[in-house]
Amino acid sequence: MSHRGRWAGWAAIAAVFIWSAVATEVSVGRMVEGLPFMWDFLRRMVPPDPSVLGNAVRGAIQTIQIAIVGTVVAAVLALPVGFAAARNAAPRWLFYTSRLLLNAFRAVDTLVYALFFVAAVGLGPFPGVLAVIVYTATVLAKLYSEAIEAIEPGPVEAVRATGATSLQVLRWGVLPQLVPQFLSFTLYRFETNIRAAAVLGFVGAGGIGFYVQTYLRLLNYPAAASVLLVLVVLVMLVDFASSRVRARLV
Amino acid sequence: MRGLCKDYPGGSRALDDVDLDIGPGEFVALIGPSGAGKSTLLRCLNGLVTPTAGRVEVGGVAVTGATPETLRRVRAGIGFVFQQFNLLRRLSVLENTVLGRLSHSSRWRSLVGWFDPADLARARATLARVGLGGLDTRRIDTLSGGQQQRVAIARALVQAPAVILADEPMASLDPSLAHTVMELLRRINHEDGITVIASLHVLELAQAYGQRIIGLHRGRVVHDGPPDSLDDAATTRIFGPGVAGGAA
Repeated sequence: MSHRGRWAGWAAIAAVFIWSAVATEVSVGRMVEGLPFMWDFLRRMVPPDPSVLGNAVRGAIQTIQIAIVGTVVAAVLALPVGFAAARNAAPRWLFYTSRLLLNAFRAVDTLVYALFFVAAVGLGPFPGVLAVIVYTATVLAKLYSEAIEAIEPGPVEAVRATGATSLQVLRWGVLPQLVPQFLSFTLYRFETNIRAAAVLGFVGAGGIGFYVQTYLRLLNYPAAASVLLVLVVLVMLVDFASSRVRARLV
Repeated sequence: MRGLCKDYPGGSRALDDVDLDIGPGEFVALIGPSGAGKSTLLRCLNGLVTPTAGRVEVGGVAVTGATPETLRRVRAGIGFVFQQFNLLRRLSVLENTVLGRLSHSSRWRSLVGWFDPADLARARATLARVGLGGLDTRRIDTLSGGQQQRVAIARALVQAPAVILADEPMASLDPSLAHTVMELLRRINHEDGITVIASLHVLELAQAYGQRIIGLHRGRVVHDGPPDSLDDAATTRIFGPGVAGGAA
């Protein structure tokens, strides 16, 4: 790119940034004015109220349960879709249709699906599970399909060359290349689903988010603080455990 | 092989009217510049590549036009050693080796990974024979290239094949390891009477190990004879002028 072209590019980026900042009413002054309120908010949270720990833990467990059921069902659903969306495994028409559908479904986040399912099946953790399933299935299907496309043909050919049947080729040439990756992707989505499921309660779809929102709305900051602390510990524990397992998989 | 031809899409002709008879127990070195059709020729022999025209028979069984069942039986009797080893990198040494017994093992049990103890014992013994005893449980991706190629040879050997095809078996290896691998193939040829057909691009290795040298140039057999028949005129026919006596 020419020197002049590069400067024009940077100028365009700067212009878009400034345009967006003005439109979103970014103001350092207002933020500074808000600082005492932020401080006040934090101060009211201390000390956290230990009497609501029971509720917080119950909510946290439900969040984990939503993430577990949602992720497992999504992983199973994503398997056939993943093959359908892999260029080297599906006929062309199926590949393009699947990719298009996956991209469309993935454009909408879990929380939006939760709103939809709460309206459809009512309040509680179940619409949360459904929301996690839909979003996670599409994301996992995309990740699976990329793993399928990256498969090495050499080992597959080698197993075929031993005189193995097609099923044996699939089992010993293909699956050993895919299963560790699939498990790793699925665990990673489980980690992200814990965080996603934690806010599902905001729209009435169960889990720890329900308590965060309720206590904040009741202006019971010490109680909200307890719930948030439990949430932080929960996310850290799951991330730690899951990344340890993933490191051993691949 | 009779009148063997293979055209690839795009009009390139990899094999052009190849006629060859290779007898049991021979050690054949297949030489030629890259793109001469060496890999295609080897892959036609076990049906990994279907020829455009011509006929291939191995051990009296027609490979061309064979039913899937027959083709699997033919492949079971042919070990194939690849340039890139083509091992399952996340599986153990023993698992990779015992895959050579897939065609002999019970289909459903092999799908759940329950291999016959006799097959496992055979795989262990073969690993010891290629100098990898004690590494059974190691994952492939923790081995050196030379060790990996020996696992691949062990996988071919546990098939108890009549023929081993080796496609540039040392091209991905350190030159110092080439002799280890070739020596191993020679021992297999001598001790088990297994026919070995190895494609090689290093002339010295072909002359040192091959009992018969077949030279390919642009898909045609341009030389066929014992190592001492490979004079300058023959190398020029195979590799073109200017590389006589050297490596291509």
